[in-house]
Amino acid sequence: MDRRTFLKIAGIGSLSVAVGCTGNDEENLYSLVHAPDNMVTGKPSWYASTCRECPAGCGIIAKNREGRVIKVEGNPLHPVNRGKLCMRGQAALQGVYNPDRIKTPLVKVDGQWRPIAWKEAEALARERLTGAASDGAGNVFFISEVAGETTLAAMQRFQEAMAAAPPVLFEPFGYEALKAANAVTFGLAGLCRYRIDQADVLVGFGADFLETWLSPVEYSRKFKEMHGYRDGRKGLFFHVGPYESVTAANADHWLPVSPGAEAVIAMGCLHEALAKGRGDRLPSNVREAVHAAAAPYTEAAVCSASGVDAGAYRTMVKRLLAAERPLVLGQGVGGGAGEGLAANIAANLLNLVLDPDLARLDFIRRHRVEIAHARREVYGAFREAAGRDNAVLLLNNVNPVYSLPASAGIRETLERSSVFTISFSNFMDDTAVLADLILPTRLPLERWGEYAGHHGIVSTLQPAMGRLTDFPDLCDLLVRLGNGGRRSSGQARKQTYERLRRSEAVTGDRDWINVVQQGGVFTPPEEETFTWTFSFDCLKPFSGGLFRPVDADEALCFAAAPSLRFFDGRGGNRSWLAEFPDPITKVAWQAPVWIHPDTMTSRGLKTGDLVEIASDSGRLIAPVYPFAGLHPKMLVMTTGQGHAGFGRYAKGRGANPFQLLPAAVDPVAGGPGFLAAGVKLAPSGKRMVLAHTDGSKFQHGRKIAMSVAMKDLHGGPGHDHHGAGFGMHEFPMNLPLPEGYDPHQDVYPPHEHRDDYRWGMVVDLDRCIGCGACSVACYAENNIGVVGEQRVIEGREMSWIHIERYHDPDHMEKMIFLPMMCQHCDNAPCESVCPVYAPHHGKEGLNNQIYNRCIGTRYCVQNCPYKVRRFNWFEWDRPHPLPLQLNPDVTVRMRGVMEKCSFCVQRIKEAHGWAKNENRRIRDGEMVPACVQTCPTDALAFGNLADKESRVRRMVEDPRAYQVMGYLNTKPAVIYLRKVVQEI
Amino acid sequence: MSNLTPAKIDNAVLDTLSPPPPRYWAVAAVLLAGTLLGLGCWIYQIYIGIGVGGQNNPVAWGTYLINFVFWVGIAHSGTLISAILYLFRAGWRNPIARAAETMTVFAVCTAGLFPLIHLGRVWLVYYMLPYPNQRNLWPNFTSPLMFDIVAISTYLTVSALFWYTGMIPDLATIRDRAVGVRKKIYTLLSFGWTGKFEQWRHYIRGYLFFAALATPLVISVHSVVSWDFGLGIVPGWHSTVFAPYFVAGAIHSGLAMVLTLMIPLRRIFHYEEIITIEVLENVAKTIILTGFIVGYAYAFEIFIAWYSFNPVEQESFRWRIFGDYSLEFWIMTLCNCAVPLFFFFKKCRTSLKWLMTISILVNVGMWYERFVIIVGGPAHGFLPHAWGLYGPTFIELGIMLGTFCMFFLLFILFVKHMPSVSMTEMKEALNTGDSDAH
Repeated sequence: MDRRTFLKIAGIGSLSVAVGCTGNDEENLYSLVHAPDNMVTGKPSWYASTCRECPAGCGIIAKNREGRVIKVEGNPLHPVNRGKLCMRGQAALQGVYNPDRIKTPLVKVDGQWRPIAWKEAEALARERLTGAASDGAGNVFFISEVAGETTLAAMQRFQEAMAAAPPVLFEPFGYEALKAANAVTFGLAGLCRYRIDQADVLVGFGADFLETWLSPVEYSRKFKEMHGYRDGRKGLFFHVGPYESVTAANADHWLPVSPGAEAVIAMGCLHEALAKGRGDRLPSNVREAVHAAAAPYTEAAVCSASGVDAGAYRTMVKRLLAAERPLVLGQGVGGGAGEGLAANIAANLLNLVLDPDLARLDFIRRHRVEIAHARREVYGAFREAAGRDNAVLLLNNVNPVYSLPASAGIRETLERSSVFTISFSNFMDDTAVLADLILPTRLPLERWGEYAGHHGIVSTLQPAMGRLTDFPDLCDLLVRLGNGGRRSSGQARKQTYERLRRSEAVTGDRDWINVVQQGGVFTPPEEETFTWTFSFDCLKPFSGGLFRPVDADEALCFAAAPSLRFFDGRGGNRSWLAEFPDPITKVAWQAPVWIHPDTMTSRGLKTGDLVEIASDSGRLIAPVYPFAGLHPKMLVMTTGQGHAGFGRYAKGRGANPFQLLPAAVDPVAGGPGFLAAGVKLAPSGKRMVLAHTDGSKFQHGRKIAMSVAMKDLHGGPGHDHHGAGFGMHEFPMNLPLPEGYDPHQDVYPPHEHRDDYRWGMVVDLDRCIGCGACSVACYAENNIGVVGEQRVIEGREMSWIHIERYHDPDHMEKMIFLPMMCQHCDNAPCESVCPVYAPHHGKEGLNNQIYNRCIGTRYCVQNCPYKVRRFNWFEWDRPHPLPLQLNPDVTVRMRGVMEKCSFCVQRIKEAHGWAKNENRRIRDGEMVPACVQTCPTDALAFGNLADKESRVRRMVEDPRAYQVMGYLNTKPAVIYLRKVVQEI
Repeated sequence: MSNLTPAKIDNAVLDTLSPPPPRYWAVAAVLLAGTLLGLGCWIYQIYIGIGVGGQNNPVAWGTYLINFVFWVGIAHSGTLISAILYLFRAGWRNPIARAAETMTVFAVCTAGLFPLIHLGRVWLVYYMLPYPNQRNLWPNFTSPLMFDIVAISTYLTVSALFWYTGMIPDLATIRDRAVGVRKKIYTLLSFGWTGKFEQWRHYIRGYLFFAALATPLVISVHSVVSWDFGLGIVPGWHSTVFAPYFVAGAIHSGLAMVLTLMIPLRRIFHYEEIITIEVLENVAKTIILTGFIVGYAYAFEIFIAWYSFNPVEQESFRWRIFGDYSLEFWIMTLCNCAVPLFFFFKKCRTSLKWLMTISILVNVGMWYERFVIIVGGPAHGFLPHAWGLYGPTFIELGIMLGTFCMFFLLFILFVKHMPSVSMTEMKEALNTGDSDAH
């Protein structure tokens, strides 16, 4: 063979090999031939809207990439939440992209659901509606969640057209007791807002304002404005209640009392205040009447009736009376019906006596949820519907079968053949499954409207995404159902616009666009004054001598605690919320019953034993979780789980605590109780493994979650950054900067950082309330896999931020919440052990994980003292259409790859882009990671540690600054500030 | 050495190469089936993900690395026996040297599989190879895993060459008696060995140099493996005692494995005259010594943890002894330190039943030693919130079973097709003039 022949053969051979290779065909890759004018591929658009995951009504801005919403953040202009969002708000995305979302209208034929075309579905609905309306007035019943004015008006018009009663607004957490208390003490049957930020001493009688109460994001922020350590001071917060909720865990002092005894304590405080001569500016008749009512509440009587510790009670009274700007919050929804009313009245009276001007109560910009009807009226509507021969029941985003006790008989009403139920739900939840026709309407992220969380503002909704469904807006649907089938679209936008024009919130088309762009009209209205009017009716609950709380006997008392994660259950089908472990128990996916360790021992139970709890109304089976933070007579279970339907993430998971509650309502307030007295506890003989994510709640003498006493901070022994030894507690703080290197302790030279950028974070443990918003925001931003209950049990959860819950070693009864994410060490143990340089020290100090390089030796996580690295044990399941939510700027990691917090490097890169365009450096605070962005209490701060003027750098100078396990000389770039503990 | 003659030795050893009975093939088939089962488990793991095993956060290393260290440990005594004892002129090593070396080579091969099985993305394992590439990246030679690659591959190369070199004269002996295809194969394998004086002179020199070269590897390989842990900062790992501790442990387990393999071999192949009871007794005596060394290491670790006054170390060892894995800890301590003490009694040293039982127990104990270290360290590390437990799954056990089957399959294939006792060295030892044995 000569050279030419060889080359020919070689050439043909390699060509044929090359031709033989075909790559995998890309499926469904289409180019955007006609892109919308305002869409640039790769650039997000932001749409301002309003969060409708709970009645608080926080403003959001929704990030839209290539037509789909991929992230929601708080609207910084919005007065309710000022740019922050809780975990439920973050998880709103999993509503629109829920894999179990209904896809078409459904009709029930012979007990089976059948898809039906919109035209026929509407015709059927119209036929039933006209039939019912022609049979007589008031045959159409509309039960809705608390809605915005436009939707409300549309519903009212519809009901008028049907000659029926106005819609009944049902909220499971309706605050009836608080409204009734406000009515009798202040003459206003509404829900005033509390200026918690202006108080110096705050006393809560059960209000879980850091979790669900009224407006948790707003109150979390305000609470830390008052309670966060600043300039050598911080406010005081006492929480009185039978169990340690997240709110109680954040109190300076939690006073455990027997269930339902909050009112006794409040009356006791009232007694002491009046005895000290407070309330002298009150009208004398009022003062005397209150004084007389409070007379039996001597310290001894209070202590014996409530079981409160006398010393703690005395201290609380002393500090409350010494306060300059005291504020008292009433009962949350976690109390009994009658007890809740009494506690709220007593709290109101206490506010009145301590400050007759009620300067820290805002009676004008009241919470919108006050328009919800009392539970009594909700029951009434259902009862009335059941009594009609031909009734149509319309349900808008309510789930009464789930959230009302079984003994209320909602299920039976819906099952009656005389009641034709039309549900507007997007999910086959416990109630929708009993309906006769489902006409799904658009979800809040897909529609126009407005919803103001409190009076005095306008907060608009607009579609933030392309449409996944052909569902109509509720306003359009109601018009169509009411007008005989003529087409109608764009009603929601039109009606919203017209309503705002009428109310002069919007002056014209141009102004409308501005308003929609910024998410509403937030100019504060002129200050109006409010004069309270006192009614002596308020003293009725206290007329019969000492108020007796529920449990006079030895039986156990069960409380349904409003859930930070699922609210009243409407978050139950969001996998992020289920995956995030409860802040107190650290159990994910499940809702165990909290039980006092003494009760547990006396009943011979072990953690995870399934017990059957039976009350007069119902029974449930749940595993037990031992927790010392509750009264020994209490059993507590968080709400939100135990759905019979509601999709794969909710169905059959856990138990529903609402089923145990009494259906009876308080005769005065008309509200329900969330406390079931006299429940029976019986072991079922079975066990289950709790999906807990924590190892130990104690710190075992390590330098992890630290606190410092207030007195040590000023005047006490100074904290020297350059301590005297190499032991765990005196090891000096070593910043991840060249100055943090010392030849005595470091072998290797410091890293050089490009352009003087060295990213770092400061976590103020004094401000962290453990709410977990950061963690869920991180799931949304960084495409983190959801692993499910079984994998959590196996220890495979993927969360990049864990909220570690530790007991304070100096005050064992107190908890410290410690957000733990990658520490981006300058001297990172993970980097040196990887054989392929997958963990890589970036030029700006970031500890980058290069997914493409990773071969999965898992040595890095073994060597990470903070255990923040997460391995992809499997390919995680993301059923369609959840992948539409994925952030295109972040890689979706495959199985076999290590991952971890990146400080949202994609955002840093984007900020570099902005800075480069303008030929400048990145400004301090210009970009923050998703966790920092959403933290309701500003516990997290992010910035450039190399810049001496940056906020994080100045915070590092704080004497409270330390590094977790800093003595390992890893030089972490996450600096923690100790929690400040006050002596009381 | 009693009444052995060169002819007797040749006959005894060459008899083992006679066509095996069906029983042998039945055993081989069972072992092959076990191996294939393990392979199936591995393929399943590659497709589904490492999660089919029991590893989790915080225990990201499980049975795969336990078995890796276990087999590397087993691999140690082969070279110890053939090289170090050769240099020390310990003549009692001659009858077991070949089998021990064979065990070494196969054990290193088995061990070498585990890091691959362990990898999350095994198809990218070539990222660890240092060669110029378009990725412009070089492996990280500060990683102990890279040390491992170098150390293990060196060890495999040297021990395989050493093993083969030692076999050449024996292969020639077989060749001389073989016929047909076998003759051709053994001719090829024996590299034209004729037994000329020149060949012997070079061979003896070469073998000696190999022995000298292999000796440091005995120390270095397991020292390097121990640095996988010693260089980590995990409490319970981060200790300077790890290198000698691991080497002693490796020899301990290797000697036990030699006994476990030799006793049945001796019985099946009628090697009673060659592998005498004195040989086994000497191995048992050495096991007493290594048992004491590992016992010292256990005690020393605990002492240092206490002496360091470091709450993390102290808690780590308190938990090791009394915590969730205390059973494993006590199995390890009893099997490795207490059980070998029975060898102080001559009756136990010379009874095959005792020898076999104790050697298996030591093997079990050494497996648990690796479990206690590899799982126990990270399970109870720095951050109490992250503490967790680990337990192997059926997939892991299947893979483990598969590799054990593979090892024994290779071993039985070897003993039926290659000289399992070094005829050359045995014959040398007969000549009292040349022997240093007595």
